[in-house]
Amino acid sequence: MIYYIYDGSFDGILTAIYDAYYRRETPEKIVSEDDFQESFLINKIYIKTDREKADKVYNAIETKISNQALKNVFYVYLSERTDRGTIIYHYLKLGWKIGIDIDLNLTNNNVLLLQNICQSVSKERHFMLGLVRFRELKNNILYAPIEPEYNVIGLIGQHFSNRISNENWIIHDVNRNIAAIYNKQEWIVIELEMNPTIELHKDEETYQRLWKEYFNNISIKNKVNPRLQKRNMPMKYWKYLIEK
Amino acid sequence: MDVFEKLKILSDAAKYDVSCSSSGSNRKSKKEGLGNASVSGICHSWSDDGRCISLLKILFTNDCIYNCVYCINRCTNDLPRAMFTPEEVADLTINFYKRNYIEGLFLSSAVYRNPNYTMELLGKTVKKLREEQNFNGYIHLKAIPGADKEIIEKAGMYADRMSVNIELPSSEGLRSLAPQKNKESILRPMNFINSRMHQSIEEIKTFKYAEKFVPAGQTTQLIVGATRDDDLKILKLSEGLYKGYKLKRVYYSAYVPVTNSPNLPAISSPPFLRENRLYQADWLLRFYGYNADELLDESKPNFDLEIDPKCDWALRNINLFPVEINKADYNMLLRIPGIGVKSAMRIVSARKFASLDFDHLRKLGVVLKRAKYFITCKGKYYGLKTMDGENIRKHLVSEIKGKESTNGIEQLSIFSLYPNLIINNNKTIVTGAFQ
Repeated sequence: MIYYIYDGSFDGILTAIYDAYYRRETPEKIVSEDDFQESFLINKIYIKTDREKADKVYNAIETKISNQALKNVFYVYLSERTDRGTIIYHYLKLGWKIGIDIDLNLTNNNVLLLQNICQSVSKERHFMLGLVRFRELKNNILYAPIEPEYNVIGLIGQHFSNRISNENWIIHDVNRNIAAIYNKQEWIVIELEMNPTIELHKDEETYQRLWKEYFNNISIKNKVNPRLQKRNMPMKYWKYLIEK
Repeated sequence: MDVFEKLKILSDAAKYDVSCSSSGSNRKSKKEGLGNASVSGICHSWSDDGRCISLLKILFTNDCIYNCVYCINRCTNDLPRAMFTPEEVADLTINFYKRNYIEGLFLSSAVYRNPNYTMELLGKTVKKLREEQNFNGYIHLKAIPGADKEIIEKAGMYADRMSVNIELPSSEGLRSLAPQKNKESILRPMNFINSRMHQSIEEIKTFKYAEKFVPAGQTTQLIVGATRDDDLKILKLSEGLYKGYKLKRVYYSAYVPVTNSPNLPAISSPPFLRENRLYQADWLLRFYGYNADELLDESKPNFDLEIDPKCDWALRNINLFPVEINKADYNMLLRIPGIGVKSAMRIVSARKFASLDFDHLRKLGVVLKRAKYFITCKGKYYGLKTMDGENIRKHLVSEIKGKESTNGIEQLSIFSLYPNLIINNNKTIVTGAFQ
């Protein structure tokens, strides 16, 4: 039983897939070194991430399968599931055979699983577009802490740079210690640990109070439906919402 | 009065307007500006009653010259009145928007002084937002019936969506409940917005920089249950509005009694279930290829309250079923109860690779509780012993009943809905209900 162990990067998975093909091996699993658990029965092969090999696989997905497939594979990577490497591997193996129609093949369990994961990641991305809440800091920077389940911060920066293009802002993934930052010109993702004693702008509290006031007023009293509310807006996102 | 107090009164007054959508516009951000509309629309929060919040939905003022008997803001009603300034609305919109609380603004108003004056105030507000504040987020603006078309047009240049509320589905209804309005005063602006939109679409084809006029289209709202109009009449009206006026959406709002009047029906609770049936049927018109005549007719002018319109249609046309999942075309798949647009698309793609069985359908996320009575998979039927409409109906109704009791869709009595509104001697006493 062969396991491929990679360094946890997206290029690492792509390199592993390249190696499996040219070594004519069929690894049982492709696991990142952080998720790997030792066992006697496993024949470990460590994959050295290689940018060139990764690029070849990347281009092959785009040309031999589809752009959509490339996006799918990346979204599964961002899901941070421990079995993501293996799922991507099986999906691409089938993809080389079927080509552009791979995503229609929903009777294949691996394809269906992959699509469902992609859907969860896109759904969370979409939730973040609505549920990010900026606070204005003393120095006029807008700051939004978030704790998404998946690593979606790279997927939302562009949206906010189009939307709030005339302000400086930071969206901070508190658990992963990374942030998307924007300086009125361009946005990038960097590592970030925030100073816990940040100071708010003098007007910030006023607008927070106005928003809470509006939020409470707009609901039709005695028609309250907490179950519906929680289904649409899961409680795991409430921590940083001003109105909740 | 400070802006907190105004926001309290004027958001409260707007909350029964049901429109919430922020979709259909792709207004792009400009340099040094704030905002960018998303075509698909984005919900930013969900209120305690479970409805989505995407726009700052407010009235400019609730101070009204009209006395429509069904309306909470009618001039003879004794309640606190307030009025924003254009500056206040713009400031709230900008500051809520940049904190990502909202997708844009929904601005409506009671008729203050006269329709033209009111429409000019609304126009002034949106002009300020677009031209002075460089705001490019979503704006949904009400057109005030009775205002001159030049004034409506001027305001419409700054909006993504416009709507004129029809409120009452028939001329008789308007005569008895809103004698100061008439059908023409509502249809005229609707017609004008429609033709102005088409003119703008043509201009954009020729001149690249021609300005867009309400690019996300127009919508309207109807009150259900305040008049005697049946569902068939309402649905035919909607169908006509979709076809003739190219409306994007028709919203339905169950009549909530706020006053006693001999012209109003005496009801103990708002007809929420009827409202829900109309939404379901509206969906069938827009996305499932049904006609109003297929769903209702003169012999049965109202929807069945026990069963949704699609199930009801299938049961009345039971001879078309069961449908073989592996053979039916997309349009027929859409007509199977329990199968929606997403499931139908998944079925069509999956069956290119393998012929589907019952288990596959479950994995694809098809709601089999309903669908099983109407389908075969590889020739095998999973429903009851006979294809008997009556019998299937019984099973469906019992299942739906079980579900609804846990879902809390039961109709609330008006007193549990508005405990602070006591109706007495034709006069409404409002005791702190509007905070």
